Amino acid sequence: MRFSVSGNSGPQVRVRLGFDYSADKAYRIDMLLHRLRLSISYGQKLMLLASVPLIVAVAAIAFVVAAQSRALADREVNALETQLIEAKKAELRNYVTQARNGFYFIYGSAAPDDEEAKQRVSQILSAMIYGEEGQFFVYDYDGTAIVSPRETDRIGRNFRGESDGEGHPVVDRLIEIARSGDGYYTYLWPKPSTGVPARKIVYVTSFPSWQWAVGTGVFIDDILATVATARAEVEDRVDRTFIYIGAIALMALLVVFATGLGLNLRERRLADAKLKKLTQRVFDAQEEERGRVARELHDGISQILVGVRYALDNARRRLDRGDPQAGAPLAKGIATLGEAISEVRRISRDLRPGVLDDLGLGPALRMLADEFGERTGTQMDFTTVVFRNRLDSDAKIALYRIAQEALTNIERHANATHVRIDLRGHKRGATLRITDNGTGFAASARTPGLGLRNMQERMDQLGGQFYLRALPGKGVEIEATAPLTHMLSPDPANTPEKAPPKPRKTAA
Amino acid sequence: MNNRLRIVIVDDHPMVAEGIQSILESYDDVEVVGTLGGGREVIAQLETLDPDVILMDLNMPDIGGLSATEIVLEQRPGTRIVILSMHDSPEYISSALNHGAMGYLLKDVPTDEIKFAIDTVMRGERYLCTGAQGSLTPKSGGARETLTNREQTILLQLAQGQSNKEVALALDISVRTVETHRKNIKRKLGISSTAGLTRYALEHGVLQGTGVDL
Repeated sequence: MRFSVSGNSGPQVRVRLGFDYSADKAYRIDMLLHRLRLSISYGQKLMLLASVPLIVAVAAIAFVVAAQSRALADREVNALETQLIEAKKAELRNYVTQARNGFYFIYGSAAPDDEEAKQRVSQILSAMIYGEEGQFFVYDYDGTAIVSPRETDRIGRNFRGESDGEGHPVVDRLIEIARSGDGYYTYLWPKPSTGVPARKIVYVTSFPSWQWAVGTGVFIDDILATVATARAEVEDRVDRTFIYIGAIALMALLVVFATGLGLNLRERRLADAKLKKLTQRVFDAQEEERGRVARELHDGISQILVGVRYALDNARRRLDRGDPQAGAPLAKGIATLGEAISEVRRISRDLRPGVLDDLGLGPALRMLADEFGERTGTQMDFTTVVFRNRLDSDAKIALYRIAQEALTNIERHANATHVRIDLRGHKRGATLRITDNGTGFAASARTPGLGLRNMQERMDQLGGQFYLRALPGKGVEIEATAPLTHMLSPDPANTPEKAPPKPRKTAA
Repeated sequence: MNNRLRIVIVDDHPMVAEGIQSILESYDDVEVVGTLGGGREVIAQLETLDPDVILMDLNMPDIGGLSATEIVLEQRPGTRIVILSMHDSPEYISSALNHGAMGYLLKDVPTDEIKFAIDTVMRGERYLCTGAQGSLTPKSGGARETLTNREQTILLQLAQGQSNKEVALALDISVRTVETHRKNIKRKLGISSTAGLTRYALEHGVLQGTGVDL
């Protein structure tokens, strides 16, 4: 996300600024995404992996089930509707047929212009009202209402062109149907009892010689209401199915999440406890080290320096008195000061061996090995290549501490008589290998202690590798490899223009 | 007094340099011609100061005493160099000798030792601080002679395929000096050919991690 600047004429600079700005923004977005990506933990990923397919599957099932049951119910409801309407139609037809048969003795023998016969038939039809809304109607082919017992004001008036609530010319259609024989017609019509428009189905037939259209109708709003109720029930059922499936899915999800959360919490608690323990041990080690250094400073150097002070004071007193013996306490003071210097040298070397910075890892390891051999009587074997100071400071200190730790372990546990230390550079980096002929241990028999974990962590930090091979009775071999990225070119101090900053010196 | 020994003290701690100077001034046959704060200064002023003996601090911030010793000796091979140090371990001492120092002097020795060290190296003998004399061979074995800083640099350049002349030019030293280094490298590694040097450098990771494309 860094751009080199080349050229500094006006336009170029403007272009560069624009580019930089967007790049910066992109960088920020990238960072944000990165952070988001980082914030999804492994556990959360697992949870997503478990719950997303579950949700998808449940949703698919819900939709399929809903579609199926809705289709089925639709078929049933439609069948019901058809059945009910067919029954009504048959009923209407029966009424009309019955009526016609009833006064056929009048109509059959009457001439087309037999007004008296017409009058009698009209009267009979007018009297044949049934149910709440049931009635017979008669229009002549011109559209004039002849029979209309429930709306008597219509009688004698012409209704050609009259249309229902939906704009259909109802009377015209009825006459048309009657002219061509008989048939049914459905339209919207105000209920005579309430005046509220409702759907009505009508059967109409003709008295052809009189040019009458005769029929009767029934309001089917009750049927439609029944069907609508049935439909609503279906919808309700589908909705309920949805809710059931959703509830089951939700419960399953809750179980998944609760389990995941529980596992996560448990894991975290364990990790926290581990970290806490580790931190405590690090603190303990640090405190112990500080305590040791403080004690050494106080018990060692302070006391020596106090002695020097007494000696110098003594010398001054003698000088003041003109005592020619002043030289003796002075000499003693100087000698004691020498002790203080060696003491400081020892302490500082224990804290961080200067040889690591001054001469490199090889000599530092050799010194470590020599001291260890001398102290414990173990036979030490140290081999290295002739190159030195090839590792950067991080790698040097890491490998050195690993060697220290390994030797401490050998002294404490291994009971070894022979330790071999080998350090060499190769094509992939630098490898330190420490082998002993001690008692070893079964790798499975114990959890790695703080020491081994420290070694592992030091190499992890470097991006290097750490191996431990141990078998009971076969000794232990550890191998730590620092990667090439931690290797320097042969002592850059020799090419002063490239000299890196030297580590701050501690004692000189 | 032209026959007085010309001494240069190199130490980045002025207190130490002045202390040594004041001690040496109590002798009639030595003259401190310069107290310098770093290795690079002594290399720069070598011709002017014309020292017989250089007392060189081991660890200094710019270039270390060992590298400075090598470079001084490349330019004025006759110079006697005594390394000043706080460290008394054999690793330090053998490293100092390996880089061409004639003496190794601990800073906290009795002050008489300083003059004694100068006298010893002027006689052409090695001076090693008392106490360290016998323990130069490491107990842990495998004491192969290590390359000096300069030799490592030159090995890298030779392994990269540079000629003696190119190396000499890059390091600002004579071709003859490069030749000497080269001979020493081959002797120390037990290798006789330049191809062998390259192979050795490659196998031991000297070329890797140095920005050199392989």
